[in-house]
Amino acid sequence: MSHPVDVAAYQPESTSSAPPDGSDPASRPSRAASWRWFGRKVAGSTATLGFIVVVNFFLFRVINKHPERTLARGRAKTPEQIQAVIEKYGLDKPLPEQFFVYLKNIVTLDFGDSYQYSQSVRGLMLDRLWPTLVLVGTSTILSILIGVWIGTIAAWNRGRTFDGVSTTSTITLYSMPEWWLGLILFLIFSTGFAGMPRMFPLGGLKTIGTDAWSVNGVVDQAWHLVLPVLTLTLAYLAEYSLIMRSALLDEMGEDYLQTARAKGLNDILVRRRHATRNALLPVVTLVSLNLGFIVSGAITIETVFSIPGLGLLTTDALRIPDIPMLQGTFFVFSASVVIANLISNLLYGFLDPRVRI
Amino acid sequence: MTRTGLRSSRVTAAAAATTLLMGAALWGATTTAQAKSAQAADDATFTIGMTNEVDSFNPFNGIEAESYEAWALMYDYMISYSAKDMSPKPSLATSWDTSADGLTWTFHIREGVKWSDGEPLTAKDIAYTYNRILDGGPESASWGSYLISVTDITAPDDKTVVLTLKKPNATLPLLPMPIVPEHIWKDVSEKDVKTYSNEPKSADQPVVGSGPFKLVEGKAGGSTYRFVRNDGYWGGEPKVGEIDMRVFKSEDTLVQSLKAGDIDFAEDINALQVKALQGEPGITAQEGSSPGYEELAFNTGSVDLKTGKPLGDPNPAVLNKDFRFALTFAIDRQKIVDKAYQGAGLAAQNIIPPAYKTYYWTPPSKDTYAYDPEKSKRLLDEAGFKVGADGFRTMPDGSPIGKLRLYARSDSETSVSTMAFFQEWLKDVNIDSKVSSFESSKLTNIILDGEFDVFEWGWYVEPDPDSMLSYFTCAQRGNWSDSWYCNPTYDRLYKEQNAATDDAKRADIVKQMQQILYDDAPYLNTVYDTIGEAYRSDRWEGFVPQPDPGGILLFQYGHANYINMAPAGTSDGTPGQPQSSDEAGSGQVMIILVAIVVAGAAVVGGWLMMRRRTAGDRE
Repeated sequence: MSHPVDVAAYQPESTSSAPPDGSDPASRPSRAASWRWFGRKVAGSTATLGFIVVVNFFLFRVINKHPERTLARGRAKTPEQIQAVIEKYGLDKPLPEQFFVYLKNIVTLDFGDSYQYSQSVRGLMLDRLWPTLVLVGTSTILSILIGVWIGTIAAWNRGRTFDGVSTTSTITLYSMPEWWLGLILFLIFSTGFAGMPRMFPLGGLKTIGTDAWSVNGVVDQAWHLVLPVLTLTLAYLAEYSLIMRSALLDEMGEDYLQTARAKGLNDILVRRRHATRNALLPVVTLVSLNLGFIVSGAITIETVFSIPGLGLLTTDALRIPDIPMLQGTFFVFSASVVIANLISNLLYGFLDPRVRI
Repeated sequence: MTRTGLRSSRVTAAAAATTLLMGAALWGATTTAQAKSAQAADDATFTIGMTNEVDSFNPFNGIEAESYEAWALMYDYMISYSAKDMSPKPSLATSWDTSADGLTWTFHIREGVKWSDGEPLTAKDIAYTYNRILDGGPESASWGSYLISVTDITAPDDKTVVLTLKKPNATLPLLPMPIVPEHIWKDVSEKDVKTYSNEPKSADQPVVGSGPFKLVEGKAGGSTYRFVRNDGYWGGEPKVGEIDMRVFKSEDTLVQSLKAGDIDFAEDINALQVKALQGEPGITAQEGSSPGYEELAFNTGSVDLKTGKPLGDPNPAVLNKDFRFALTFAIDRQKIVDKAYQGAGLAAQNIIPPAYKTYYWTPPSKDTYAYDPEKSKRLLDEAGFKVGADGFRTMPDGSPIGKLRLYARSDSETSVSTMAFFQEWLKDVNIDSKVSSFESSKLTNIILDGEFDVFEWGWYVEPDPDSMLSYFTCAQRGNWSDSWYCNPTYDRLYKEQNAATDDAKRADIVKQMQQILYDDAPYLNTVYDTIGEAYRSDRWEGFVPQPDPGGILLFQYGHANYINMAPAGTSDGTPGQPQSSDEAGSGQVMIILVAIVVAGAAVVGGWLMMRRRTAGDRE
């Protein structure tokens, strides 16, 4: 989830004027208008999702019209055998029927059976979902907390050493390819490079033979996740620290801060209770948008650290291509982004009523 | 200021929790490491690192090499393959005989073999497994090609299996299907088999098989699999208590793990990695010759099989067999081995690799596959492909050849670089071309639609040559024939060898067929493949390569090396000293713990400082 940090994109027009709590109650939109706005947002998201569902089906069939040719290479020789392969994967049915089955599967969240693993796509995805959620989820939360903190301090001490060092280093980390950063950390902390102690394992999610749900197993998995989480956290930091920094800088010239200072509040409390809260608005947008990308994970990091997550499942499926698997994962990826977008829209409307018009 | 206080104490709690968790993690890690080395002393675990997943533990579904390896651990076969040259040797069948007309094969089955759940394994299980395949459905899609022309399979008693054929089939007794237990699989219907996972529900309920190991943990597509020894295995007790397999999605990580000692064996690593590992102490790395080859394949005439009309858009030049044959001498096979494969491989000749001595066609002279661009030019001139005014060759009728389209596989570095060399060599003999790369699945479709001139790919060759030979028959066009080759003489010889009951006669026919392929040149073979393998020779010994010598150590035909392998030093009587993989001593752990505690203290201290600075504002 390396999106370019486009600061301007997260600058809502409202923050440049008066803070939300200072807006005139009379100008609030009517209840009916709010509902209409809500309905429009939900309908828009549903339409997007419907469009994705249709594209999903045809996209993978355009990429490879004959998955049975890859699936049977070197094995099925007689025409009867080829026919058996085609029947096994339901490829003998006419396209409209396949499409209907596909729609039914989406509605029931079934997704059919994987060509590659001969098992239900749903089961395979559920198995792979949680490593990704833990990995990317933890990193996202950590990078938000640390990033916002860095951004706040940097803005408040603009031009001083902390600002310079933190901005340069977060941008440096951000511009490194994630997998490269991961490999470096891996080399230093896992391989015993240059006499360093081997502190962390060489990839994987757990030590073979430990029960994933025992106390030891959970601890073992946490130990395996330290480096990948650290990599992603470092890589994501700049997204949050830079947004926070620029948002807070915008707030710092505002009159209400002067008022707060005039009340006799100390500098830290002015920052914490007044400035930071108003500056958080663009961060909220960014956070809710990024939450949508948590499930699609960090494919490169999953590769470097051999973590069996959804990202790896998808790249492996592209090889065949395993159409039901790709339909399943792409649906889940796009649905989570669409839903996160919807939530961020609604949240924004809630935080700033002027949006609801 | 209660609210600020509350929030700050949350931060402290989080910091404290992190410190605790990290400490616990390290403690847990050291205890598991200790547990592992303690276990290694009395019952060793052998860990294999590989780069691809098992795609199914159900032998009727999977297609990946890793799945074949897993089945080889879990199950037995009626026939197995010798290490020397992969010739058939007894396994569940102790002996077999054929009727004079070659239509009845009788196999005598070993007695006293038991499934891992204690049930006896009899001829009935074998007949049951083969009949599932014969009955069609997904089982047949996977294994049916080994039972071609077999009409009936019976087990007249517990120690005899009889195969009845409608015409002789020379590929028998090649029967590489795992034998599954009837008492388990009878509950898996034809309809359910395509999604039947055949995975253990828990470690206490391993999958029932008869092989040297039992699958106790693992899921298709998962990243770790565990197999424990099947005590009392009839084919000899393995000296290893447990086989673990770990999937690494990056070859660098795989090699690092071997160096660090986390794994004992690295499967299928590239030539550069092998070279780098050859200097490491305690590690043996080798390129094992695998029975396969890579080729440059021509479109020799794609046709729509229903209408008989030409299909696709091959360049007319490659349809001409004299043109193709002339290019035999335009390519420097040794250079491909040295440059594109980093020396890992052998310059190839024909479609049967030298490991299969019986069927290998020895080139009649040292010039048969010589790199000789002048000869190539001369042959092209003689065939009428003269150099035109623009410096490039033309068709015999004077029309330009244009650019030949050379298609490489984008997922294979060696494929792309081989094609780059080929393009240069074509230029040397005045032929223009351009290289493009496609994903394997895309290229498969391009080939079957006939929309290519030349592509680069490879095949594995089974111990019996029949499958390989069949890919050049007219009947396989639009199916496995990727060169669209069709020659009635070749087809007649194919049928003859398939029905031949005399081995020497069959070998003779197979060699004649290779001579035809040499002359018609649908393929220009480039390299006989090798597979890079490395293992901890300070801990393990006893591997026998297949083919012997020079072959691969694991992922062979059969499971012989899982029984052969032993902790280093044990085979000559002295007890082995397997090194503990995790040598993070308690001193190191203490240092790390101290570092974490210091970091935790710093966080707490920082918070206290901050509190003091805001103290004046608190109520």
